[in-house]
Amino acid sequence: MSLAAKKVSRYIIAIIIIFSLNFVIPRAMPGDPLTNLLGEDVILTDSSVTTLRSEMGLDRSFSQQYLDYWRSILKLDLGYSFHRHSPVSDIIFTRMKWTLLLALPSLLLGGVLGTVLGALAGWRCENRSQKMKTAFFLGVYCTPPYFLCLLALYLFSFKFALFPLKGFYDTGSALDIAHHLFLPILVMTLFSLSRNYMIMRGSILQEKSSLYATYARAKGLYDAEILFRHVFKNALLPIITLLAMDFGFILSGALFVEIVFSMDGMGNLIYDALLSRDYPVLQGSFLIITLMVVSANLLADILYSRLDPRVRWH
Amino acid sequence: MMQKFSRLGLFLFLSFVLMAIFSAQLSPYDPWMRFEPYLHPGQEHLLGTNDMGQDILSELIYGSRVSLIVGFGAALMATFIGTIIGLLAGYFRGTTDEILMGITDIFLMIPQIPLIIVIASFLRPSFWLVALLMGSLWWTSTARVVRSKALQVRETGFVQASRALGFSDRHIIFTDVLPNIFHVIMPKFLLSIASAMIAEASISFLGLGDPTMKSWGMMINFAFTRGGFINGYWWWYLTPGLCITLFVLCVVLMGFTWEEEEQATLRLE
Repeated sequence: MSLAAKKVSRYIIAIIIIFSLNFVIPRAMPGDPLTNLLGEDVILTDSSVTTLRSEMGLDRSFSQQYLDYWRSILKLDLGYSFHRHSPVSDIIFTRMKWTLLLALPSLLLGGVLGTVLGALAGWRCENRSQKMKTAFFLGVYCTPPYFLCLLALYLFSFKFALFPLKGFYDTGSALDIAHHLFLPILVMTLFSLSRNYMIMRGSILQEKSSLYATYARAKGLYDAEILFRHVFKNALLPIITLLAMDFGFILSGALFVEIVFSMDGMGNLIYDALLSRDYPVLQGSFLIITLMVVSANLLADILYSRLDPRVRWH
Repeated sequence: MMQKFSRLGLFLFLSFVLMAIFSAQLSPYDPWMRFEPYLHPGQEHLLGTNDMGQDILSELIYGSRVSLIVGFGAALMATFIGTIIGLLAGYFRGTTDEILMGITDIFLMIPQIPLIIVIASFLRPSFWLVALLMGSLWWTSTARVVRSKALQVRETGFVQASRALGFSDRHIIFTDVLPNIFHVIMPKFLLSIASAMIAEASISFLGLGDPTMKSWGMMINFAFTRGGFINGYWWWYLTPGLCITLFVLCVVLMGFTWEEEEQATLRLE
């Protein structure tokens, strides 16, 4: 089997396993599976329980249910939220746009700034100002993201009233949305930046002492030239895989940021679903997030093989 | 530069551990005892009281116990699973390696926090459950590091010698390979404590923690949901957050220093 086929099959297996997990969880957990599938605040009469049970296929055999489950997944049908009176997929797609608007800029900014600043810090690790910077980002790295949000919200929105307290928009103009998004994106960027910073710094520290760097110096190249034309490229490779894995992390982080800033994205959707035990929404969100993380990983793998001539898919 | 900080980190780490062990002796009051609510920090109550009139300092000291147990428990379990899987994959190579690393890759892709949220929403919240779930999800990076180190160690002379002498695989893995990998496992263990504590704090913040057990994360959750934040009672939510950050910081510092020293000795060789 070629490497590409092996990798792709690994992703397919991952998706099958995670989706199956999503099928098993509500049926294996204590309590009536019907309640577990519909959500806990749904009040039903006896007759509607029987009709719903057959409609959801809960009276059929387990294997039949499993096949039905896959059939509906392929039709992009993630179930119906009785709590919100609309199909789960519709709710998630409208909410996901906002979450991505928050997560993607932070991921990109954090990735670019984190690698460049981290590279400088690793390259000039004796420098005093670099040490201060490292200490700062280490502090951010060790703080739970939502706590950082609470602090930022308290300081900038509450005390100094520079930014709005909640939501994605008031009037809906682009400027208004940007004003609302500034603080959350700032915190998320700091959060992803600090992670990339620490890893890039370590990576550069390792590459710095390798022979080709010494040779480049012996040739008489400028310091910055050695860093950005030779060492940076090699140290960057682990970051690409990391960015993909970080995508899941950033997305989870965005959930908490949204809760603190009361923004109507995926985070608050999950939070509300959690409080009202709206299981279809919870599971649907989990599936969509998984799907996104897995595709980000696949993308990173492809990118990696393009950028690193030592790793080629055959 | 990290060495200096790492000594400070060790000192802080030990004081937090002592605080968790002797919380009954150290805390001025019972964390559930009720006094006047919303007291500012003062002489009676060094860090003030919350909405129920409970002493924040005592809550913090008792909270260290819960938070540390969850962090250590999850990290221990994760390190254990990761080490076993990494050792087996690295030592036996071939098909075993393919299968075990395939599983690791799959686990690496599962968004952990959302999965924990889904499972925990179905079950009654308890902090054992959270620790167990985190432990069974967080082992992937340890497994990868242990595997790559095991691949190296298995080719060294003394392992070859024991194999030639006819020792069993189990014997070789545990007496020859494992002790030589131990120094890469320890920093990983420390870093998993850090991520487990941050995750616990996040999950508790969502209200999925154990309401009968006050961890630092639960304290922030209470302060956020019961209006301590809106009213600006900073001593209520700031102190547990700072405790989490400080503890994670000292664990991470020790872990990073260890890893860097490791790489430095590698270079010297």
